[in-house]
Amino acid sequence: MSEVDPRGSADAVPALVVENVTTRIGPLTILDGLSLELRAGEVVTVLGANGAGKTTLLRTIAGLYPPRQGHIRLFGESIEGRPAHEITRAGIGHVPSGRELFPRLSVADHLELGGRLSPPARRAELRARMLAMFPVLGRRLGQRAGTLSGGEQQMLAIARALMTDPRVLLLDEPSTGLAPKIVLSVFQTFPMLREQGVSILLAEQSLTLGLTAADRAYVVDQGRIVLSGAAAQLAEDHRVVDTYLGR
Amino acid sequence: MLALQILVNGLLLGGLYVLIAQSLNLIFGVMGVVNLAHGAFIVVAGLFTYWFASSTGINPLAALPFVFIVMALVGAGLQPLLVEPLMKMGRSKAELLSLMVTFGLDYVLVELALQVWGSSFVSVPYLQSSWKFAGLDFSQALVVSGVFAALVSALLYWWLNRTDSGKSLLAASQSETGAICCGIDVKRVRMLAFALGVALAAAAGVLVIIVEALAPQTADDLTLLAFVIIALGGLGSYVGVAVAALLLGVAQSVTGYFVGGNAEYVLPYVLLILVMVALPGRFRRA
Repeated sequence: MSEVDPRGSADAVPALVVENVTTRIGPLTILDGLSLELRAGEVVTVLGANGAGKTTLLRTIAGLYPPRQGHIRLFGESIEGRPAHEITRAGIGHVPSGRELFPRLSVADHLELGGRLSPPARRAELRARMLAMFPVLGRRLGQRAGTLSGGEQQMLAIARALMTDPRVLLLDEPSTGLAPKIVLSVFQTFPMLREQGVSILLAEQSLTLGLTAADRAYVVDQGRIVLSGAAAQLAEDHRVVDTYLGR
Repeated sequence: MLALQILVNGLLLGGLYVLIAQSLNLIFGVMGVVNLAHGAFIVVAGLFTYWFASSTGINPLAALPFVFIVMALVGAGLQPLLVEPLMKMGRSKAELLSLMVTFGLDYVLVELALQVWGSSFVSVPYLQSSWKFAGLDFSQALVVSGVFAALVSALLYWWLNRTDSGKSLLAASQSETGAICCGIDVKRVRMLAFALGVALAAAAGVLVIIVEALAPQTADDLTLLAFVIIALGGLGSYVGVAVAALLLGVAQSVTGYFVGGNAEYVLPYVLLILVMVALPGRFRRA
Protein backbone atom coordinates (compact mmCIF):
# COMPACT_ATOMS: atom_id res chain seq x y z
CA MET A 1 0.00 0.00 0.00
CA SER A 2 1.39 3.39 -0.91
CA GLU A 3 1.83 6.00 1.75
CA VAL A 4 -0.36 9.06 1.73
CA ASP A 5 1.34 12.17 3.05
CA PRO A 6 -1.08 13.64 5.57
CA ARG A 7 0.40 17.13 5.30
CA GLY A 8 0.12 17.12 1.52
CA SER A 9 -3.60 16.41 1.49
CA ALA A 10 -4.55 18.41 4.58
CA ASP A 11 -5.37 21.54 2.56
CA ALA A 12 -7.51 19.73 0.02
CA VAL A 13 -11.22 19.16 0.73
CA PRO A 14 -11.56 15.74 2.37
CA ALA A 15 -13.52 13.10 0.48
CA LEU A 16 -15.71 12.40 3.47
CA VAL A 17 -16.12 14.12 6.81
CA VAL A 18 -18.19 12.65 9.62
CA GLU A 19 -18.57 15.26 12.32
CA ASN A 20 -19.98 14.59 15.77
CA VAL A 21 -22.61 12.17 14.46
CA THR A 22 -25.13 10.57 16.80
CA THR A 23 -27.43 7.80 15.60
CA ARG A 24 -30.15 6.16 17.62
CA ILE A 25 -31.98 2.99 16.71
CA GLY A 26 -35.10 2.75 18.83
CA PRO A 27 -34.08 3.56 22.38
CA LEU A 28 -30.41 2.72 21.82
CA THR A 29 -27.68 5.23 21.04
CA ILE A 30 -25.43 3.33 18.63
CA LEU A 31 -23.22 6.19 17.44
CA ASP A 32 -22.38 8.70 20.14
CA GLY A 33 -20.85 11.88 18.73
CA LEU A 34 -18.54 10.08 16.34
CA SER A 35 -16.17 12.00 14.06
CA LEU A 36 -13.78 10.83 11.37
CA GLU A 37 -12.28 11.92 8.10
CA LEU A 38 -11.44 10.21 4.83
CA ARG A 39 -9.07 12.08 2.52
CA ALA A 40 -9.25 11.81 -1.23
CA GLY A 41 -7.49 8.68 -2.46
CA GLU A 42 -7.16 7.14 0.99
CA VAL A 43 -8.08 3.71 2.26
CA VAL A 44 -9.22 4.08 5.86
CA THR A 45 -10.39 1.24 8.04
CA VAL A 46 -12.82 1.41 10.92
CA LEU A 47 -11.98 -1.32 13.39
CA GLY A 48 -14.07 -2.52 16.25
CA ALA A 49 -15.55 -5.56 17.94
CA ASN A 50 -18.97 -6.90 17.10
CA GLY A 51 -21.60 -4.33 18.08
CA ALA A 52 -19.17 -1.42 18.33
CA GLY A 53 -21.17 0.54 15.75
CA LYS A 54 -19.25 -0.05 12.50
CA THR A 55 -22.23 -1.13 10.43
CA THR A 56 -24.41 1.64 11.88
CA LEU A 57 -21.71 4.15 10.98
CA LEU A 58 -21.63 3.00 7.35
CA ARG A 59 -25.41 2.83 7.15
CA THR A 60 -25.69 6.33 8.61
CA ILE A 61 -23.23 7.70 6.04
CA ALA A 62 -25.20 5.90 3.29
CA GLY A 63 -28.40 7.53 4.57
CA LEU A 64 -30.11 4.32 5.65
CA TYR A 65 -30.33 5.68 9.19
CA PRO A 66 -30.91 9.39 9.68
CA PRO A 67 -28.40 10.81 12.18
CA ARG A 68 -29.94 12.52 15.22
CA GLN A 69 -27.24 15.14 15.15
CA GLY A 70 -23.96 15.98 13.48
CA HIS A 71 -22.87 16.53 9.91
CA ILE A 72 -21.72 14.35 7.06
CA ARG A 73 -19.96 15.99 4.14
CA LEU A 74 -18.97 14.48 0.81
CA PHE A 75 -16.26 16.63 -0.78
CA GLY A 76 -17.55 19.57 1.23
CA GLU A 77 -21.18 19.02 0.28
CA SER A 78 -23.53 18.35 3.18
CA ILE A 79 -25.43 15.06 2.66
CA GLU A 80 -26.90 14.14 6.04
CA GLY A 81 -30.67 13.83 6.17
CA ARG A 82 -31.05 13.27 2.44
CA PRO A 83 -32.95 10.19 1.23
CA ALA A 84 -30.59 7.22 0.91
CA HIS A 85 -30.99 6.77 -2.83
CA GLU A 86 -29.99 10.39 -3.36
CA ILE A 87 -26.86 9.85 -1.30
CA THR A 88 -26.02 6.96 -3.64
CA ARG A 89 -26.53 9.34 -6.55
CA ALA A 90 -24.35 11.97 -4.88
CA GLY A 91 -21.40 9.57 -5.08
CA ILE A 92 -21.37 7.19 -2.13
CA GLY A 93 -21.14 3.55 -3.10
CA HIS A 94 -22.18 1.11 -0.38
CA VAL A 95 -21.31 -2.56 -0.11
CA PRO A 96 -23.60 -3.39 2.80
CA SER A 97 -23.15 -6.16 5.32
CA GLY A 98 -24.90 -9.29 4.14
CA ARG A 99 -24.23 -8.05 0.58
CA GLU A 100 -27.93 -7.43 -0.12
CA LEU A 101 -27.82 -8.83 -3.64
CA PHE A 102 -30.95 -9.67 -5.64
CA PRO A 103 -30.92 -13.48 -5.46
CA ARG A 104 -33.15 -14.09 -8.48
CA LEU A 105 -31.59 -11.50 -10.78
CA SER A 106 -28.58 -12.27 -12.97
CA VAL A 107 -25.05 -10.94 -12.59
CA ALA A 108 -25.61 -8.83 -15.73
CA ASP A 109 -28.80 -7.38 -14.18
CA HIS A 110 -26.86 -6.32 -11.08
CA LEU A 111 -24.28 -4.47 -13.17
CA GLU A 112 -27.04 -2.87 -15.21
CA LEU A 113 -28.98 -1.75 -12.12
CA GLY A 114 -25.83 -0.35 -10.52
CA GLY A 115 -25.03 1.60 -13.68
CA ARG A 116 -28.56 2.79 -14.42
CA LEU A 117 -27.81 6.37 -13.35
CA SER A 118 -24.78 6.83 -15.58
CA PRO A 119 -25.01 7.85 -19.24
CA PRO A 120 -24.70 4.84 -21.61
CA ALA A 121 -21.10 5.51 -22.62
CA ARG A 122 -19.93 5.80 -19.01
CA ARG A 123 -21.98 2.72 -18.09
CA ALA A 124 -20.24 0.66 -20.78
CA GLU A 125 -16.85 1.92 -19.58
CA LEU A 126 -17.61 1.03 -15.95
CA ARG A 127 -18.92 -2.36 -16.96
CA ALA A 128 -15.79 -3.16 -18.96
CA ARG A 129 -13.69 -2.06 -15.98
CA MET A 130 -15.64 -4.31 -13.59
CA LEU A 131 -15.24 -7.31 -15.86
CA ALA A 132 -11.51 -6.64 -16.08
CA MET A 133 -11.27 -6.31 -12.30
CA PHE A 134 -13.43 -9.36 -11.57
CA PRO A 135 -13.01 -11.70 -14.57
CA VAL A 136 -15.04 -14.39 -12.82
CA LEU A 137 -18.16 -12.21 -13.03
CA GLY A 138 -17.75 -12.07 -16.79
CA ARG A 139 -18.04 -15.85 -16.91
CA ARG A 140 -21.22 -15.77 -14.78
CA LEU A 141 -23.13 -12.95 -16.48
CA GLY A 142 -26.30 -14.97 -17.05
CA GLN A 143 -26.24 -16.69 -13.68
CA ARG A 144 -28.56 -15.72 -10.84
CA ALA A 145 -26.81 -14.02 -7.94
CA GLY A 146 -28.31 -16.53 -5.49
CA THR A 147 -26.36 -19.36 -7.14
CA LEU A 148 -22.92 -17.69 -6.86
CA SER A 149 -20.30 -18.71 -4.32
CA GLY A 150 -19.69 -16.44 -1.32
CA GLY A 151 -16.58 -14.90 -2.88
CA GLU A 152 -18.33 -14.28 -6.19
CA GLN A 153 -21.26 -12.70 -4.37
CA GLN A 154 -18.92 -10.35 -2.53
CA MET A 155 -17.25 -9.37 -5.77
CA LEU A 156 -20.66 -8.76 -7.34
CA ALA A 157 -21.71 -6.58 -4.40
CA ILE A 158 -18.53 -4.52 -4.84
CA ALA A 159 -18.97 -4.37 -8.61
CA ARG A 160 -22.59 -3.27 -8.23
CA ALA A 161 -21.53 -0.46 -5.89
CA LEU A 162 -18.71 0.60 -8.22
CA MET A 163 -21.13 0.67 -11.17
CA THR A 164 -22.80 3.65 -9.46
CA ASP A 165 -19.53 5.50 -10.21
CA PRO A 166 -18.88 6.50 -6.58
CA ARG A 167 -16.29 8.89 -5.25
CA VAL A 168 -16.35 7.18 -1.87
CA LEU A 169 -16.84 3.45 -1.40
CA LEU A 170 -18.15 2.10 1.91
CA LEU A 171 -17.21 -1.54 2.45
CA ASP A 172 -18.93 -3.31 5.32
CA GLU A 173 -16.85 -6.32 6.40
CA PRO A 174 -16.23 -7.73 2.96
CA SER A 175 -14.18 -10.51 4.56
CA THR A 176 -17.19 -12.08 6.31
CA GLY A 177 -17.62 -15.70 5.35
CA LEU A 178 -14.80 -15.69 2.83
CA ALA A 179 -11.68 -17.83 2.64
CA PRO A 180 -8.50 -15.82 3.40
CA LYS A 181 -7.26 -16.24 -0.17
CA ILE A 182 -10.46 -14.71 -1.55
CA VAL A 183 -10.34 -11.87 0.98
CA LEU A 184 -6.86 -11.04 -0.27
CA SER A 185 -8.04 -11.00 -3.87
CA VAL A 186 -10.82 -8.59 -2.85
CA PHE A 187 -8.36 -6.34 -1.01
CA GLN A 188 -5.98 -6.45 -3.97
CA THR A 189 -8.50 -4.39 -5.92
CA PHE A 190 -7.99 -1.41 -3.58
CA PRO A 191 -4.93 0.03 -5.38
CA MET A 192 -6.84 -0.14 -8.66
CA LEU A 193 -9.78 1.70 -7.11
CA ARG A 194 -7.47 4.32 -5.67
CA GLU A 195 -6.06 4.92 -9.16
CA GLN A 196 -9.61 5.43 -10.38
CA GLY A 197 -10.12 8.15 -7.79
CA VAL A 198 -12.25 6.14 -5.38
CA SER A 199 -11.59 6.68 -1.68
CA ILE A 200 -12.41 3.72 0.55
CA LEU A 201 -13.87 3.45 4.04
CA LEU A 202 -13.56 -0.14 5.18
CA ALA A 203 -15.33 -1.49 8.26
CA GLU A 204 -13.50 -4.54 9.49
CA GLN A 205 -13.65 -6.76 12.52
CA SER A 206 -10.33 -8.45 11.84
CA LEU A 207 -7.47 -6.25 13.05
CA THR A 208 -4.85 -7.84 10.84
CA LEU A 209 -6.95 -7.61 7.70
CA GLY A 210 -8.04 -4.04 8.32
CA LEU A 211 -4.59 -2.77 9.17
CA THR A 212 -2.95 -4.55 6.21
CA ALA A 213 -5.36 -3.04 3.74
CA ALA A 214 -5.54 0.53 5.01
CA ASP A 215 -3.43 3.71 5.17
CA ARG A 216 -5.03 4.88 8.40
CA ALA A 217 -7.36 3.37 10.95
CA TYR A 218 -9.93 4.36 13.53
CA VAL A 219 -10.90 2.10 16.40
CA VAL A 220 -14.54 2.32 17.44
CA ASP A 221 -15.93 1.28 20.79
CA GLN A 222 -19.47 1.88 21.99
CA GLY A 223 -20.17 4.29 19.16
CA ARG A 224 -17.12 6.48 19.71
CA ILE A 225 -13.65 6.72 18.22
CA VAL A 226 -11.24 5.62 20.92
CA LEU A 227 -8.03 5.44 18.89
CA SER A 228 -6.82 6.58 15.50
CA GLY A 229 -3.63 6.83 13.53
CA ALA A 230 -1.57 5.43 10.69
CA ALA A 231 -2.28 1.75 10.13
CA ALA A 232 1.36 0.75 10.56
CA GLN A 233 1.50 2.63 13.85
CA LEU A 234 -1.70 1.13 15.25
CA ALA A 235 -0.51 -2.35 14.35
CA GLU A 236 2.15 -1.90 17.05
CA ASP A 237 -0.21 -0.37 19.61
CA HIS A 238 -1.33 -2.78 22.35
CA ARG A 239 -4.27 -0.50 23.24
CA VAL A 240 -5.99 -1.62 20.02
CA VAL A 241 -6.14 -5.19 21.25
CA ASP A 242 -7.14 -4.00 24.71
CA THR A 243 -10.15 -2.22 23.28
CA TYR A 244 -11.19 -5.40 21.53
CA LEU A 245 -10.94 -7.42 24.69
CA GLY A 246 -12.79 -4.75 26.66
CA ARG A 247 -9.86 -3.88 28.93
CA MET B 1 -61.52 -34.81 -27.89
CA LEU B 2 -63.57 -34.16 -24.80
CA ALA B 3 -60.34 -34.18 -22.83
CA LEU B 4 -59.01 -31.45 -25.12
CA GLN B 5 -62.13 -29.38 -24.57
CA ILE B 6 -61.78 -29.66 -20.80
CA LEU B 7 -58.08 -28.83 -21.00
CA VAL B 8 -58.55 -25.77 -23.20
CA ASN B 9 -61.40 -24.46 -21.06
CA GLY B 10 -59.20 -24.97 -18.00
CA LEU B 11 -56.28 -23.13 -19.56
CA LEU B 12 -58.51 -20.20 -20.56
CA LEU B 13 -59.89 -19.97 -17.06
CA GLY B 14 -56.30 -20.29 -15.83
CA GLY B 15 -55.31 -17.36 -18.03
CA LEU B 16 -57.84 -15.25 -16.19
CA TYR B 17 -56.51 -16.53 -12.87
CA VAL B 18 -52.94 -15.57 -13.82
CA LEU B 19 -54.01 -11.94 -14.03
CA ILE B 20 -56.12 -12.12 -10.85
CA ALA B 21 -53.19 -13.57 -8.90
CA GLN B 22 -50.27 -11.71 -10.48
CA SER B 23 -51.64 -8.32 -9.49
CA LEU B 24 -51.81 -9.41 -5.83
CA ASN B 25 -48.36 -10.98 -6.16
CA LEU B 26 -46.87 -7.73 -7.46
CA ILE B 27 -47.93 -5.76 -4.40
CA PHE B 28 -46.91 -8.52 -2.03
CA GLY B 29 -43.51 -8.94 -3.68
CA VAL B 30 -42.50 -5.32 -3.26
CA MET B 31 -44.15 -4.41 0.04
CA GLY B 32 -44.76 -7.67 1.86
CA VAL B 33 -48.37 -6.53 1.99
CA VAL B 34 -51.23 -8.92 1.27
CA ASN B 35 -53.77 -6.51 -0.15
CA LEU B 36 -57.08 -7.76 1.28
CA ALA B 37 -58.96 -5.19 -0.81
CA HIS B 38 -57.75 -7.00 -3.94
CA GLY B 39 -61.09 -8.68 -4.71
CA ALA B 40 -62.94 -5.45 -4.02
CA PHE B 41 -60.94 -3.70 -6.74
CA ILE B 42 -61.79 -6.54 -9.14
CA VAL B 43 -65.48 -6.36 -8.27
CA VAL B 44 -65.72 -2.57 -8.45
CA ALA B 45 -64.06 -2.56 -11.87
CA GLY B 46 -66.28 -5.42 -13.04
CA LEU B 47 -69.51 -3.80 -11.86
CA PHE B 48 -68.47 -0.48 -13.35
CA THR B 49 -67.90 -2.26 -16.67
CA TYR B 50 -71.37 -3.84 -16.39
CA TRP B 51 -72.91 -0.42 -15.78
CA PHE B 52 -70.90 1.13 -18.60
CA ALA B 53 -71.68 -1.59 -21.16
CA SER B 54 -75.37 -1.94 -20.29
CA SER B 55 -76.10 1.78 -20.20
CA THR B 56 -74.14 2.76 -23.31
CA GLY B 57 -74.28 -0.41 -25.35
CA ILE B 58 -70.57 -0.06 -26.09
CA ASN B 59 -68.30 -3.13 -26.17
CA PRO B 60 -67.27 -3.83 -22.53
CA LEU B 61 -63.65 -4.36 -23.54
CA ALA B 62 -63.56 -0.70 -24.54
CA ALA B 63 -63.77 0.09 -20.82
CA LEU B 64 -60.48 -1.72 -20.17
CA PRO B 65 -57.97 1.08 -20.89
CA PHE B 66 -60.10 3.63 -19.06
CA VAL B 67 -60.59 1.40 -16.00
CA PHE B 68 -56.88 0.53 -15.99
CA ILE B 69 -55.76 4.17 -15.97
CA VAL B 70 -58.34 5.40 -13.46
CA MET B 71 -57.63 2.56 -11.04
CA ALA B 72 -53.86 3.07 -11.39
CA LEU B 73 -54.44 6.65 -10.27
CA VAL B 74 -56.68 5.45 -7.42
CA GLY B 75 -53.93 3.05 -6.34
CA ALA B 76 -51.27 5.75 -6.62
CA GLY B 77 -53.44 8.00 -4.46
CA LEU B 78 -54.28 5.40 -1.81
CA GLN B 79 -50.79 3.97 -1.35
CA PRO B 80 -49.12 7.06 0.21
CA LEU B 81 -52.18 7.59 2.41
CA LEU B 82 -52.81 4.09 3.68
CA VAL B 83 -49.85 1.81 3.09
CA GLU B 84 -46.67 3.92 2.94
CA PRO B 85 -46.95 5.24 6.51
CA LEU B 86 -46.83 1.63 7.73
CA MET B 87 -43.58 0.91 5.91
CA LYS B 88 -41.56 2.96 8.39
CA MET B 89 -42.58 0.64 11.23
CA GLY B 90 -40.46 -2.30 10.14
CA ARG B 91 -41.45 -5.25 8.05
CA SER B 92 -43.21 -7.48 10.59
CA LYS B 93 -45.32 -4.72 12.13
CA ALA B 94 -46.11 -3.37 8.68
CA GLU B 95 -47.33 -6.79 7.53
CA LEU B 96 -49.86 -7.08 10.33
CA LEU B 97 -51.05 -3.47 10.22
CA SER B 98 -51.36 -3.54 6.44
CA LEU B 99 -53.69 -6.53 6.74
CA MET B 100 -55.93 -4.45 8.98
CA VAL B 101 -55.75 -1.36 6.77
CA THR B 102 -56.48 -3.23 3.55
CA PHE B 103 -59.25 -5.20 5.27
CA GLY B 104 -60.83 -1.89 6.22
CA LEU B 105 -60.42 -0.64 2.68
CA ASP B 106 -62.05 -3.84 1.42
CA TYR B 107 -65.03 -3.22 3.68
CA VAL B 108 -65.43 0.35 2.52
CA LEU B 109 -65.20 -0.57 -1.16
CA VAL B 110 -67.65 -3.47 -0.85
CA GLU B 111 -70.18 -1.34 1.07
CA LEU B 112 -69.85 1.44 -1.49
CA ALA B 113 -70.39 -1.03 -4.32
CA LEU B 114 -73.49 -2.38 -2.52
CA GLN B 115 -74.85 1.14 -2.22
CA VAL B 116 -74.23 1.93 -5.86
CA TRP B 117 -75.05 -1.35 -7.60
CA GLY B 118 -76.99 -3.40 -5.03
CA SER B 119 -76.33 -7.01 -4.10
CA SER B 120 -77.65 -8.88 -7.12
CA PHE B 121 -75.34 -10.85 -9.35
CA VAL B 122 -74.84 -9.34 -12.78
CA SER B 123 -72.90 -10.28 -15.88
CA VAL B 124 -72.31 -8.51 -19.16
CA PRO B 125 -74.29 -10.11 -22.00
CA TYR B 126 -71.38 -10.05 -24.42
CA LEU B 127 -70.24 -12.80 -26.79
CA GLN B 128 -72.88 -15.24 -25.67
CA SER B 129 -72.34 -17.76 -28.45
CA SER B 130 -69.54 -20.21 -28.91
CA TRP B 131 -66.96 -21.03 -31.52
CA LYS B 132 -67.11 -24.52 -32.97
CA PHE B 133 -63.74 -26.01 -33.66
CA ALA B 134 -63.04 -29.67 -34.53
CA GLY B 135 -66.40 -30.69 -33.15
CA LEU B 136 -65.84 -28.82 -29.87
CA ASP B 137 -67.59 -25.77 -28.44
CA PHE B 138 -65.59 -22.92 -27.00
CA SER B 139 -67.39 -20.11 -25.23
CA GLN B 140 -66.39 -16.92 -27.02
CA ALA B 141 -66.47 -14.91 -23.83
CA LEU B 142 -64.08 -17.30 -22.09
CA VAL B 143 -61.71 -17.38 -25.07
CA VAL B 144 -61.60 -13.59 -25.35
CA SER B 145 -61.15 -12.88 -21.65
CA GLY B 146 -58.74 -15.77 -21.04
CA VAL B 147 -56.54 -14.73 -23.95
CA PHE B 148 -56.71 -11.05 -23.03
CA ALA B 149 -55.79 -11.77 -19.43
CA ALA B 150 -52.87 -13.94 -20.50
CA LEU B 151 -51.69 -11.18 -22.81
CA VAL B 152 -51.82 -8.54 -20.08
CA SER B 153 -49.92 -10.88 -17.74
CA ALA B 154 -47.32 -11.53 -20.44
CA LEU B 155 -46.94 -7.79 -20.88
CA LEU B 156 -46.39 -7.42 -17.14
CA TYR B 157 -43.77 -10.17 -17.23
CA TRP B 158 -42.01 -8.51 -20.14
CA TRP B 159 -42.07 -5.14 -18.38
CA LEU B 160 -40.66 -6.60 -15.16
CA ASN B 161 -37.79 -8.41 -16.85
CA ARG B 162 -36.89 -6.20 -19.78
CA THR B 163 -37.28 -2.57 -18.71
CA ASP B 164 -35.32 -0.44 -16.29
CA SER B 165 -38.37 0.46 -14.18
CA GLY B 166 -39.53 -3.17 -14.14
CA LYS B 167 -36.14 -4.44 -13.07
CA SER B 168 -35.94 -1.77 -10.39
CA LEU B 169 -39.21 -3.13 -9.04
CA LEU B 170 -37.91 -6.72 -9.02
CA ALA B 171 -34.70 -5.51 -7.36
CA ALA B 172 -36.58 -3.63 -4.64
CA SER B 173 -38.71 -6.69 -3.96
CA GLN B 174 -35.64 -8.90 -3.52
CA SER B 175 -33.56 -6.52 -1.44
CA GLU B 176 -34.66 -3.05 -0.45
CA THR B 177 -31.21 -2.08 0.83
CA GLY B 178 -29.64 -3.46 -2.34
CA ALA B 179 -31.99 -1.36 -4.43
CA ILE B 180 -31.08 1.77 -2.48
CA CYS B 181 -27.41 0.94 -3.11
CA CYS B 182 -28.23 1.22 -6.83
CA GLY B 183 -29.78 4.66 -6.31
CA ILE B 184 -33.33 3.33 -6.72
CA ASP B 185 -36.04 5.43 -5.05
CA VAL B 186 -37.72 2.57 -3.20
CA LYS B 187 -40.61 4.72 -2.01
CA ARG B 188 -41.51 5.51 -5.59
CA VAL B 189 -41.20 1.86 -6.56
CA ARG B 190 -43.65 0.90 -3.80
CA MET B 191 -46.17 3.44 -5.06
CA LEU B 192 -45.72 2.20 -8.61
CA ALA B 193 -46.21 -1.42 -7.53
CA PHE B 194 -49.40 -0.62 -5.64
CA ALA B 195 -50.80 1.49 -8.48
CA LEU B 196 -49.98 -1.19 -11.02
CA GLY B 197 -51.34 -3.96 -8.79
CA VAL B 198 -54.66 -2.17 -8.35
CA ALA B 199 -54.85 -1.35 -12.08
CA LEU B 200 -54.18 -4.97 -13.03
CA ALA B 201 -56.78 -6.20 -10.54
CA ALA B 202 -59.24 -3.79 -12.15
CA ALA B 203 -58.30 -5.05 -15.62
CA ALA B 204 -59.03 -8.56 -14.34
CA GLY B 205 -62.43 -7.33 -13.13
CA VAL B 206 -63.35 -6.10 -16.62
CA LEU B 207 -62.47 -9.53 -18.03
CA VAL B 208 -64.11 -11.57 -15.24
CA ILE B 209 -67.52 -9.97 -15.60
CA ILE B 210 -67.64 -11.02 -19.26
CA VAL B 211 -67.34 -14.65 -18.14
CA GLU B 212 -68.91 -14.86 -14.71
CA ALA B 213 -71.59 -13.04 -12.77
CA LEU B 214 -70.23 -10.79 -10.02
CA ALA B 215 -71.75 -9.05 -7.01
CA PRO B 216 -70.03 -6.87 -4.41
CA GLN B 217 -70.12 -9.69 -1.85
CA THR B 218 -67.96 -11.93 -4.09
CA ALA B 219 -64.96 -9.65 -3.43
CA ASP B 220 -63.55 -11.74 -0.61
CA ASP B 221 -63.87 -14.99 -2.59
CA LEU B 222 -61.74 -13.42 -5.31
CA THR B 223 -59.14 -12.22 -2.80
CA LEU B 224 -58.95 -15.71 -1.33
CA LEU B 225 -58.72 -17.29 -4.78
CA ALA B 226 -55.81 -15.00 -5.65
CA PHE B 227 -54.15 -15.75 -2.32
CA VAL B 228 -54.50 -19.52 -2.83
CA ILE B 229 -52.79 -19.19 -6.22
CA ILE B 230 -49.85 -17.13 -4.99
CA ALA B 231 -49.47 -19.45 -2.01
CA LEU B 232 -49.38 -22.46 -4.37
CA GLY B 233 -47.04 -20.77 -6.83
CA GLY B 234 -44.68 -19.27 -4.26
CA LEU B 235 -45.15 -15.77 -2.84
CA GLY B 236 -43.24 -13.28 -4.93
CA SER B 237 -42.44 -15.70 -7.78
CA TYR B 238 -43.99 -14.67 -11.10
CA VAL B 239 -43.36 -17.86 -13.06
CA GLY B 240 -44.49 -20.07 -10.17
CA VAL B 241 -47.71 -18.11 -9.78
CA ALA B 242 -48.49 -18.26 -13.51
CA VAL B 243 -48.02 -22.05 -13.49
CA ALA B 244 -50.17 -22.43 -10.36
CA ALA B 245 -52.94 -20.31 -11.91
CA LEU B 246 -53.03 -22.38 -15.09
CA LEU B 247 -52.98 -25.62 -13.12
CA LEU B 248 -55.82 -24.44 -10.91
CA GLY B 249 -57.85 -23.48 -13.98
CA VAL B 250 -57.37 -26.94 -15.47
CA ALA B 251 -58.05 -28.67 -12.14
CA GLN B 252 -61.30 -26.73 -11.76
CA SER B 253 -62.33 -27.52 -15.31
CA VAL B 254 -61.68 -31.23 -14.74
CA THR B 255 -63.48 -31.25 -11.37
CA GLY B 256 -66.39 -29.33 -12.80
CA TYR B 257 -66.85 -31.92 -15.52
CA PHE B 258 -66.30 -35.14 -13.60
CA VAL B 259 -67.61 -34.25 -10.16
CA GLY B 260 -69.92 -31.40 -11.08
CA GLY B 261 -72.07 -29.36 -8.79
CA ASN B 262 -70.12 -26.92 -6.72
CA ALA B 263 -67.04 -29.08 -6.37
CA GLU B 264 -64.98 -26.79 -8.61
CA TYR B 265 -65.65 -23.84 -6.33
CA VAL B 266 -64.54 -25.79 -3.28
CA LEU B 267 -61.38 -27.01 -4.97
CA PRO B 268 -59.17 -23.92 -4.36
CA TYR B 269 -59.85 -24.11 -0.64
CA VAL B 270 -59.17 -27.83 -0.50
CA LEU B 271 -55.87 -27.15 -2.25
CA LEU B 272 -55.07 -24.33 0.15
CA ILE B 273 -55.58 -26.60 3.15
CA LEU B 274 -53.51 -29.35 1.55
CA VAL B 275 -50.69 -26.94 0.80
CA MET B 276 -50.76 -25.50 4.31
CA VAL B 277 -50.57 -28.95 5.83
CA ALA B 278 -48.07 -30.49 3.44
CA LEU B 279 -45.83 -27.57 2.48
CA PRO B 280 -45.97 -24.87 5.15
CA GLY B 281 -42.67 -23.49 3.81
CA ARG B 282 -44.53 -22.36 0.69
CA PHE B 283 -45.85 -19.41 2.66
CA ARG B 284 -42.46 -17.90 2.98
CA ARG B 285 -41.33 -15.42 0.37
CA ALA B 286 -39.75 -17.05 -2.64
